[in-house]
Amino acid sequence: MTLSHYLALSGILFAIGLFGVLTRRNIIGILMSIELMLNAANINFVAFNRFLYPGQYLGHTTVIFVITLAAAEVVVGLALVMAIYKNLKSIYVEDYNILKG
Amino acid sequence: MSNLILLNPEIILACAGLLILLAGAFIGESRAKLLFHLGTISAAAVLGMIITQAAMSAYGMGTMWVLDPGAQLFKFVILAATVFTLLLSVNYSAIQPRHIGTYTALLLWASCGMMLLSGALDFIYLLISLELISISCFILTGFEQKNPRSAEGAIKYFLMGGLSTAVTIYGISLFYGATGTTNLLNYASSVDFHFGDPAYVMGMLFILVGFGFKISMVPFHFWAPDAYEGAPTPVTAYLSVASKLAALGAMMRIFTGVIPHYALNITLLIAVLAALTMTLGNLTALFQTNIKRLLAYSSIAQAGYMLIGLVVADPIGRESVFFYALAYLVTNMGAFAVAMVVAGKTGSYELDAYNGLAKRSLGLAIVMVMFLLSLAGIPPLVGFVAKFYVFASAVNSHQFLWLAVLGVLNSVVSVYYYMNIARRMFFTESKDPSAVETDMYTAGVIVITSAATLLMGLLPETFMRIVKDCVSFRI
Repeated sequence: MTLSHYLALSGILFAIGLFGVLTRRNIIGILMSIELMLNAANINFVAFNRFLYPGQYLGHTTVIFVITLAAAEVVVGLALVMAIYKNLKSIYVEDYNILKG
Repeated sequence: MSNLILLNPEIILACAGLLILLAGAFIGESRAKLLFHLGTISAAAVLGMIITQAAMSAYGMGTMWVLDPGAQLFKFVILAATVFTLLLSVNYSAIQPRHIGTYTALLLWASCGMMLLSGALDFIYLLISLELISISCFILTGFEQKNPRSAEGAIKYFLMGGLSTAVTIYGISLFYGATGTTNLLNYASSVDFHFGDPAYVMGMLFILVGFGFKISMVPFHFWAPDAYEGAPTPVTAYLSVASKLAALGAMMRIFTGVIPHYALNITLLIAVLAALTMTLGNLTALFQTNIKRLLAYSSIAQAGYMLIGLVVADPIGRESVFFYALAYLVTNMGAFAVAMVVAGKTGSYELDAYNGLAKRSLGLAIVMVMFLLSLAGIPPLVGFVAKFYVFASAVNSHQFLWLAVLGVLNSVVSVYYYMNIARRMFFTESKDPSAVETDMYTAGVIVITSAATLLMGLLPETFMRIVKDCVSFRI
């Protein structure tokens, strides 16, 4: 396993995540796609740290920060999904169309 | 040296937020409005602290963050916006009394995040402050739980915000891979700038995209009108002023202050995006029938004008952005305050609500015209001076003369939709001739902002001197 393997994996994960965010209709699916993108970044951090800067801990610690941030963000996201589900009885983004102009 | 003492204003603000949250759980519903006052007082006290620290210049925690006059100016703008927002919220009926504590605490924490952001020199630090802002603002946008518009605005804001965060973090990971550090200062003082390194270039572009979302730069502006329309009006004012200016300040520090021009020259890219931002913002605003959406598109256009100063990036360009930030603060806050008063009376944010406003409440109509003229950039109001300053910096740089020309053309277009509201207020009749009353707190905000709009327009030299003193970024 070399650095390029890891980078390829993270690049593919990121692309899948981005594709999911742009095409998914289900809001939970979009949330999961965003998580994929964040984890792609985590793989990058760890892989760069391991292969290019083995003396450092910066990449590893950053990952802990990112995981925490992602968890906090998902909590708020799910709460907002609950709020909109109570209002509109739908978790499909195409039903969210009150606001336009 | 950890220099934590330099973070005192932020720490105090965060603790005040915690206390208010706690107090909100115990205070009776009839006295809950006290919490708004507590929040206002703490934000104003921290504002005072910032002013006393204005001339300080130091690094904290190694070089994690920096305290310099430039950061202090942005903190001043952010805290002033927070004070105005809290005052506007006092009589905003859609916030339930039992949630006032949460609302105030979230506003203070968002401001805390913005203050941290304005001094960030390390990407991890920057990321955490960005998230503190985003998460607080997502909840604030969806604060009217029973209102489907608010929920929809919040969810759209959340999805776009989450996407932008993910893209930013991916960019930061690539930056780390290319340079071996997340600290901008370490990078800027290194010998090798990695220019041409694809990981580095991609990383910086991803970070630019992330910031583009935050300042609603075209083509990443889709969330802005929906979130602005759905959010409670004081929050809309807050988002459009504080959140945008904080992100712009950080962007200016990173892209024009820290990263040397010969390492990554994306000036032309930002110039094209600035041109697109102002043109698209103005052209779309022409067709809006809802005042909040209209002001949302107008704020996108205003971000485009501010980006001109960022593109020019010499001291004059920077000064012009700083001055524009002050002008935008008072003008936009005032416009949203009037929109809130009118909607409070008529229950509608449609432009029809402004028909015949001059006959119902002449004072309100006159200040609204003043704010709109200032946004359009008509003398002798502050908006004119700010725009003049920005365009002058572009003309001065020769290279970006076309951007100044485009900016002037855009201002001409914008006069149409701003004056359309003025026409409705003065030259049409309203079905309901009853007077529009303004409560004390909102009236206070309107008086302060309109006085500042006029005063800064009439005596710009004083304020320009302040801005000139603040312009240095310490890096």
